[in-house]
Amino acid sequence: MNNTELTLSLLVIAFVFTLIGALLTRREGLTLRVIPAYVVLPESASDAVESDNRIHFSMGSSGLGQASTISALAAAEIMYRLVQRLAVSPRSPLITLSDPLTLPLAQDTLRRAYEYRQNLDYYHSRAAAWLPQGSRSLAFAAGAASLSADIDANSHVLLGRFGIEMAIIGESATRHDQALIGHSDLPEGQAIAFAQANQVLFGEELYVGPAYLGGRPLEWGGVIALDVMRWLIILGILLTALQAAV
Amino acid sequence: MRRHRLINFLATALVMSIGLATLIGLMSSEGSTPASVADFLLQLIMVIAAVAVLIGVLNLMGVHWGRMARGEHGWPYSLVALVSLAAVIALRVLDRMEIWSGELEGEQLSPRVFEAVQVSLESALAALLVFFLVFAAYRLMRRRVTPWNLLFSAVVVIVLLGWIPLDNGDALRDVRDWLVRVPVSAGTRGILIGVGLGTVIVGVRVLMGQDRSYRD
Repeated sequence: MNNTELTLSLLVIAFVFTLIGALLTRREGLTLRVIPAYVVLPESASDAVESDNRIHFSMGSSGLGQASTISALAAAEIMYRLVQRLAVSPRSPLITLSDPLTLPLAQDTLRRAYEYRQNLDYYHSRAAAWLPQGSRSLAFAAGAASLSADIDANSHVLLGRFGIEMAIIGESATRHDQALIGHSDLPEGQAIAFAQANQVLFGEELYVGPAYLGGRPLEWGGVIALDVMRWLIILGILLTALQAAV
Repeated sequence: MRRHRLINFLATALVMSIGLATLIGLMSSEGSTPASVADFLLQLIMVIAAVAVLIGVLNLMGVHWGRMARGEHGWPYSLVALVSLAAVIALRVLDRMEIWSGELEGEQLSPRVFEAVQVSLESALAALLVFFLVFAAYRLMRRRVTPWNLLFSAVVVIVLLGWIPLDNGDALRDVRDWLVRVPVSAGTRGILIGVGLGTVIVGVRVLMGQDRSYRD
């Protein structure tokens, strides 16, 4: 099986099982296994509104038109659902990012959430801040940490593409007694998130966020499709290993 | 309301068609019509990216100007950021005008400034990272001792010790190499496979017109 056939097969499996999952869960919903970060995220949003604080969201170097396009879209969707909860407060959240193409996405995510709450007066496009990206993004992380400390954010939600620079934001979070919820689609960022964050989203957990934050049948279907594909890959690895051993 | 629905419908139809066209193009043989269409669409992104950098610079100026105007905490840093931005743009313009004379004749000063400031700052930050990470591992154990946290800390210690050039440290180096080659590599692949599967799921959602990032 070549790469094209493999991609097509995965897409067909994902499509079919998403639809089947959506049909099965349309009436009775779906009981999802608990991912602690998705329990904490809405609570952090509620805390921020009640304590008149702000949340710092960051998409890192996730960029539209690159390999990280999907992680940018997934992060934006989660941010949208959380900003919907924050949009009742005049204290708007801060979104930092280092890819200029993601800036319009972040600004529009904020705008849509405030529009949903019919509270556009509180929306500021400058709440999404672009910080230029260095070769290792360390300058971006230092800038984002400094901006979030200045606005006195009570927590950081880092979703998207981060490398070792996540450690700088994590260190700043510790010094300023801010909570940190982290994810990265890069292994090095993921390792740092595990060491520093209060709650971590691992690998594919970012992409099922909408299902956990007020999901709809098609999003629940996506979770089922993801599980099916995961088990197919596990079986594939085991069978290949067995075949090699025999 | 009806206008909104129409715009949403058109946006969804456009995203689905472009997504499918790009997908088909990327799977087609080079030089074929679908591949050329996909190439054209990807080139469009380059053009939009160039415009986006300009938008980004304007956003940067807006954010820092706003912080200064409101006298927010840390506003002097915003002043430094704006002055640096103006200085680098001026320097780049002067470079392009080839205005330098004497010892600087034919020189490009903006890359030199980049090397002197940006690269050294990033190197300094990179040097600090190891301390952040070791301290993070220590805090992890203070927060809660779980088998996974113990494993994480033990691996950090072994890998760090493994890099010390000890005379009789061959066994430690072997353990470090095995850790990096087998469990770390397997874990990394696991995470990347998970990310890949998640990407497929969101990709399918986009192709089905269920992504909301472009709709009101």
